[in-house]
Amino acid sequence: MMEAAIEVAGLAKSFGRTRALDGLDLSVRRGEVHGFLGPNGAGKSTTIRILLGLLRADSGRTVLLGGDPWREAAELHKRLAYVPGDVNLWPGLTGGEVIDLLGRLRGGLAPARRAELLDRFELDPRKKAKSYSKGNRQKVALVAAFASDAELLILDEPTAGLDPLMEAVFQQCVAEEKARGRTVLLSSHILSEVEALCDRVTIIRRGRTVEAGPLSQLRGLARSRVSAELASPPNGLARMPDLYGVKVDGNRIEFEVDRTRLDAALAELIRVGVRDLTCAPPSLEDLFLRHYESAKAER
Amino acid sequence: MNGTWTLTKLVLRRERLIAPLWMLLLVALAAGQVKRYATGIGDIGAFAREMAANKALSAFAGEIPSATPAGMAVWKNADAIYTILALIMILTVIRHTRGEEESGRAELVGAAVVGRRAPLTAALTVTCGSAVLAGALTAVAMTATGADAAGSAAFGAAIAAAGAVFAALGAVAAQLTQTARTAIGVAGLGLGVSYVLRFAADGSGVTALKWLSPQGWSHLVKPYGANDVGVLLLSLACTVAAIAVAYRLAARRDLGHGLIPERPGPAGSTWLRTPLRLAWRLHKGLLIGWVAGYAVAGLVFGALAGSIQEVSRQGAAVEEFFRRYTASPEATMTDAYLWLMALSLGYVAALYPLLALLRLRAEEQSGRAELLLAQPVARLRWAAGHLLLALAGSAGILAVAGLAMGIAAGDVLGVLGGTLIQIPAVWVLAGVGVAAFGLLPRAAAAISWAAYLFVNLFGEVLGPILGLDYWIAKYAVPFPNLPMVLSGEPFAATPVLIMVGVTAALIATGMAALRRRALA
Repeated sequence: MMEAAIEVAGLAKSFGRTRALDGLDLSVRRGEVHGFLGPNGAGKSTTIRILLGLLRADSGRTVLLGGDPWREAAELHKRLAYVPGDVNLWPGLTGGEVIDLLGRLRGGLAPARRAELLDRFELDPRKKAKSYSKGNRQKVALVAAFASDAELLILDEPTAGLDPLMEAVFQQCVAEEKARGRTVLLSSHILSEVEALCDRVTIIRRGRTVEAGPLSQLRGLARSRVSAELASPPNGLARMPDLYGVKVDGNRIEFEVDRTRLDAALAELIRVGVRDLTCAPPSLEDLFLRHYESAKAER
Repeated sequence: MNGTWTLTKLVLRRERLIAPLWMLLLVALAAGQVKRYATGIGDIGAFAREMAANKALSAFAGEIPSATPAGMAVWKNADAIYTILALIMILTVIRHTRGEEESGRAELVGAAVVGRRAPLTAALTVTCGSAVLAGALTAVAMTATGADAAGSAAFGAAIAAAGAVFAALGAVAAQLTQTARTAIGVAGLGLGVSYVLRFAADGSGVTALKWLSPQGWSHLVKPYGANDVGVLLLSLACTVAAIAVAYRLAARRDLGHGLIPERPGPAGSTWLRTPLRLAWRLHKGLLIGWVAGYAVAGLVFGALAGSIQEVSRQGAAVEEFFRRYTASPEATMTDAYLWLMALSLGYVAALYPLLALLRLRAEEQSGRAELLLAQPVARLRWAAGHLLLALAGSAGILAVAGLAMGIAAGDVLGVLGGTLIQIPAVWVLAGVGVAAFGLLPRAAAAISWAAYLFVNLFGEVLGPILGLDYWIAKYAVPFPNLPMVLSGEPFAATPVLIMVGVTAALIATGMAALRRRALA
């Protein structure tokens, strides 16, 4: 088996008394798009800055493209491209100059690819960076990253300032990069983006990994959400085992159920008499909210 | 005018540490000098006549308003006070207007219940108010030294007027350009022109030129002499007119934009491909400004060398002067003057590498360094580009000034040598800047400025006023250790080599620390 693009185990990092990372694990396979999720302050950016060799970890194992990101930073950076969440550019330089600078530092970029990306992202390269909006600054960093031939893209909330149209362009670009066999680590809060793009995700909270794996196999995603309008009040149904989060309101009932137990639950509903029924897989959002809310409760 | 008072309090809060410091400095510059003239000079009348006959000294200081200790103190330091205050006013007004807009904070404030004119009004209230306060404090301190009260009041008014005019001009500049840095450049150019006009008026004897310069108006008051406060009506009129223009401009433009529109730049660059070239691009503007300023200063200083006259070496102050700036009894007043000018160029040039190196910290804090270091760029290579420009830039600035001064004074090689020898002393400050950035990045700005002020404490302005013995300075700061090659001392390699060695050690320490530390 090929080695992983990123292999992080037991990563810890403290700033003074604040423990930013507390035994974090992250494994990104080559050629996949990996979602990196977590509430604000969970440690996503700290992890990425350690992967970039800007911060040194206190303890834990960090392997990036087979190397040590702290000691071999400059060498490893030849093979990766990075888009920060809050892009700050040199105010006196134009967007085109910044793209060329970042490209040439890694040995040049293909002019045709650069022109194509400028066109797709509708970016005017002749404007000075100080007159760009947040979204346009973001586009400068995205064009520079996508125009590079890096084998690994590290994107830290890269679409925070983009409009929905540009968000769509971004998703196309990531899909293309994946088709070319590149690896993408995508930190994001936009769940539709993660659901559309990512093969696997890692969810972290308070500096620790709480979920990791393919989207379809994540704990809690194996349930379906059922909402039904019945012929009469669903007496007794609420006490059925294997139902989670049951809410009853007159003739209406809502609950979650493991997919393996769906047959039994539906049979019960039919026994009472069904007037209306929706049954949907739970969204990533549900899972997310569950983790975020427990994070809030612990705070 | 909604919210003006709230914003004024905000500006006051943000200035609460720095404003008392500069006020103290200005008051000390004025009142501290009186004592020296009251005790250090033998016959003050004869001394004043001798000084007044010296066109070169008149150019730097202006006319002597009266042959009293207070009058001589005004002659010695008033021009510096007017100019420093003007610079502080420009920087403060622009920081709280254009600086706020550039950062986007003004947008946050503008969206609150705040009148369109409130930010400008708040900035002008605080700056003009602090200029008046500085003038009043100086008047009180001067009176406390025993100086005549009417003269002190006139002096205070002259100070307040100089400050107010440039606060108002700074407010106009803040409306014109899109960035604070350019606005400071525009207003600074105005201050420079005003300074040169006053300088030329007193240096050439064409005193009418003084009426064209806001600093000149304050000079024309002649505190402790004519006490001609009426001239300040000109300053007042100019202040009011400039404030009116600033409000008109502010009302007509959009938030965040200037009146001078931004031109589109190049769509790309094939040249910009190394960290050093990027550093050059970022430093170019600052460096060109310094080179231009230093070329002009060198020409002017050199041209005045011919009009320096010999002074009789009587009185403790005059003897002390020659003890400081000459190394041989044969050295003339002109020699002493040229060495003093070379030394002054060095003291001021020491600020350049510190400013250049603080860019590194600004790059780090803004996250731009992160963007660069995520490329295949090692940290030391990134920092080395800025360091190289700080070192080579300060050397270039001094070389240009030395060349200009030498040509104008008619001794190219000698004067150039005397100016170039300042380079190792200036580099020591660069070393301090690098060490601070590597070891204590959060405190780098504070350390850099403190180091610069400390060096100047033993320098030509603050040291004498605070009564610091010049011979202690040799152990504390580099400049007094330089061989006085222009005034009778042969070149000595030892001090130069020691300074280069100290610089190298400081740089090595800072760079080693930078390699190991976390980047913000």
